[in-house]
Amino acid sequence: MALDPASRSRYNLENAAVMLVDDTPMGMAILVQIVTGLGAKKLFRCDSVEMAQQVAAKHEIDLAIVDGMAEGKGYDFVKWMRTTCQEPNCYTPVLLTTAHTPASHVVRARDCGGHIIVKKPFAPIVMLERIIWMAKEGRPFLFSENYVGPDRRFRDDGPPDGVGRRREDKVGQAAAAAVEVVDEHKQKAAS
Amino acid sequence: MSESVRFVFPKPKLAKLLQQPGGLPVAEALERAQNNLEAIKPTCLAELQALLELTEARFEAMGGEFEEAPLAELYAIAVRGIGGGEVCGTPGVDQALTSLCDLLDNLRTSQRYDRAAIGVHVQAWRLLLAPENSLEASRVVVEGLRKVSARYAA
Repeated sequence: MALDPASRSRYNLENAAVMLVDDTPMGMAILVQIVTGLGAKKLFRCDSVEMAQQVAAKHEIDLAIVDGMAEGKGYDFVKWMRTTCQEPNCYTPVLLTTAHTPASHVVRARDCGGHIIVKKPFAPIVMLERIIWMAKEGRPFLFSENYVGPDRRFRDDGPPDGVGRRREDKVGQAAAAAVEVVDEHKQKAAS
Repeated sequence: MSESVRFVFPKPKLAKLLQQPGGLPVAEALERAQNNLEAIKPTCLAELQALLELTEARFEAMGGEFEEAPLAELYAIAVRGIGGGEVCGTPGVDQALTSLCDLLDNLRTSQRYDRAAIGVHVQAWRLLLAPENSLEASRVVVEGLRKVSARYAA
């Protein structure tokens, strides 16, 4: 996920409709400064769940950055987005932010349907990395009785870590083949 | 009985938008974002100062025994300040506030009370907000606070 800060890659957030949800003036100010610096121009700033629901019902949102907020209302909003919003907003990439997650909110944060959680304070590079990652990863969405949102079972192993990997694979394959042979012998002996 | 599960493979627009021509090189985007944050530094500092004064006043009014409401109120104030320290160039403040929130959350969960432990966090907040602190001095203070809050960790 690491992004080189000196990278010459270009990313264009100019035409993305970005919804920011945070009930604290300072939290909202920090978010606004970061995402506008990263190039976003079309912002919907919401300081309450009610306002966010109105925006999500009226406008197509390409990216939502939602704080957990007091009493975990932000998590409830994301759950509402996933279960109540029409397409395409029910699938909108959601980056959750949290200053602190009390023990009683951990399960709500995990189960609300956000793509990723970022702990405050966050640096601009962290925000950009996570936005790019959410856009690229293409996780399937899961609809079940107890959870609606991006599949939480995923792995990001990163690129292969260099020399030795293929050899390790071959060693692994040889070991697996050996186990199969032993199993075959055991089955024959049993019959 | 097994639960019914359905998978959908949506194609969010964000990936395409990010790749549109134009945009900003990573280095420039990060520099702009950092400059923007510099611009709100005085506002953040004033906000942190106001939250600290509010916390000090609430702490002074707290009694000597466990009461849920004052602890919840203090938590609600402290949590609002996390994130501001980094912008103001005093990252120790964010760490101290996180430690304070951990402490208050653990005290509320276990229905215990330690006025001195809360007090040392509030005093450290004022100390760490001073820009003349070195990073090393801040680190030592924060490490001490974490030891205090860890005593009540579940």
